[in-house]
Amino acid sequence: MTFDQSFSGAGDDFPALLRRKGLLQPAPELKQSAGHTAFVPTESTTILAFKFAGGVLVAGDRRATSGNTVVYDRADKVLEIDRHSIMAIAGVPATAWEMARVLEHSFQYFRRTQLQEMSVDGKVRALSKLLRDNFGFVMQGVGVVVPIFATYDPSNSEPGARLYFYDAMGAQFEVTDYAATGSGSPAVRGILYYENNWGEKPLQKLNQDEAVTIALRALDTAAESDTSTGGVDRGGKIFPLIRVVAREGITTLPEEKIAAVFKRTVA
Amino acid sequence: MIEEPYRWVEAIANRREYIETQLATGSPIAAVGYRDGILFLTLSRSRQKIFEIYDRIAMGAIGHPGDIERLRMAAIELASTEGFTRSAADVSLRRLAHYSLSPVMKSAFEQVYGAPFLARLLFAEVGASPEEDLFLRVEYDGAIATNGAGVSQMQNDFAVLSPTRQSAELTELFLKKEHTATVALEDAMKVAIDAWAVGHMAIGEDGAKELPERAAVAKHRDEQLADAGVEAAVLERDSKAAIRYRTLSDEEARSAIK
Repeated sequence: MTFDQSFSGAGDDFPALLRRKGLLQPAPELKQSAGHTAFVPTESTTILAFKFAGGVLVAGDRRATSGNTVVYDRADKVLEIDRHSIMAIAGVPATAWEMARVLEHSFQYFRRTQLQEMSVDGKVRALSKLLRDNFGFVMQGVGVVVPIFATYDPSNSEPGARLYFYDAMGAQFEVTDYAATGSGSPAVRGILYYENNWGEKPLQKLNQDEAVTIALRALDTAAESDTSTGGVDRGGKIFPLIRVVAREGITTLPEEKIAAVFKRTVA
Repeated sequence: MIEEPYRWVEAIANRREYIETQLATGSPIAAVGYRDGILFLTLSRSRQKIFEIYDRIAMGAIGHPGDIERLRMAAIELASTEGFTRSAADVSLRRLAHYSLSPVMKSAFEQVYGAPFLARLLFAEVGASPEEDLFLRVEYDGAIATNGAGVSQMQNDFAVLSPTRQSAELTELFLKKEHTATVALEDAMKVAIDAWAVGHMAIGEDGAKELPERAAVAKHRDEQLADAGVEAAVLERDSKAAIRYRTLSDEEARSAIK
């Protein structure tokens, strides 16, 4: 901890501060090369998020894979960034967790230095910038991250839950109903589209138990054909991680509750 | 001329006098431990004086806004990078003050051709138990006073930041008599605002020289409350949330004081 007398103070955002101190590795520059390999997205997981009556539900399976080996089956890919924001990740864990860490500190650093909360647009943009900065690594075939960002916007004009998904280059897309990412996402997207249009009721009208049911069924379906998705491990009693973003903040659903819904409506 | 040791000592003494005069008109800040954490409280008319530094650290400051801002930014920057590269548990107020802030403030003070920091800082760090709470004051010359967590035997569960020595001593005397760290937040606020009033009464040439009567304290407090805002924040000991800092609104503070 050395006190840099020439610090610039308020001008820096947190990633810039980290770079100035040499604590964040800049991504390599994008180079035009003849033998450049095609970009292959390798995110192996299933993350889904949708708005329901009680806010936004974000669910992720727990499996981490390396090639076709399962390396860990209790991974947490639905990460709390601050009291109202969740970043759920598909992609390379090392990069994704580092990004979540930078993001978490960025929001707090902004609040502490500027004495006000960062706006939702500012937060969404901050993640976009991190993804853009990381793109050099992505093009080298390492470090692709494709996240979903869910938050609650308390600003007075139209308060409510907000949900965004990103591509690997950092473009952000706000969605009205649902988003999914990871290798198991095509199946999930199909289910959520179907449920939203022809299910018993649209996703936004579901109560919490119904929402959990849909999330578990979707993850189970994804795991059925995608080896990189853990789904629900019935023997080991490992359940997906489900968090809810609402006005009061973030709730992580206890495993017993998920297990009860699972037993009643999925198994 | 400064090359001569005597001249240097004289220059430093002048500078100390100058800074003391500059700081002499601020409004005191009281930090007191209570059952579930640490409370910072002051009355202010214009700018904010109590700040969040990191998850478990808060700061109160009096002095020049520009200097306070530089020191505040530096403290946040140091704590945030430390918390990011290691972990939040590795951010320690003791290290922040002793290794980073104090040496820089001392050298700025002693380099007589440069500008010193016109600021006094009061920090507190909430621990897992009241015994681990740390109160720490950094002066414009880099001198540090703590409540003695660690080496010394003296263990106060409060600290004050005052514009003058007289005000600081009286406020400390008042808190030593009136304050117990086991009380609930509302009671701690009542004591803290009276302590503030005592400190505020002692400011200036004709300020109180000894502890005023209770009735006089209450009268001064109510007069001041009528045209200043209550600025208060707490560091909560509750271990579930990472961020322990919470600001209390003026209404929240006033309803507790009543």
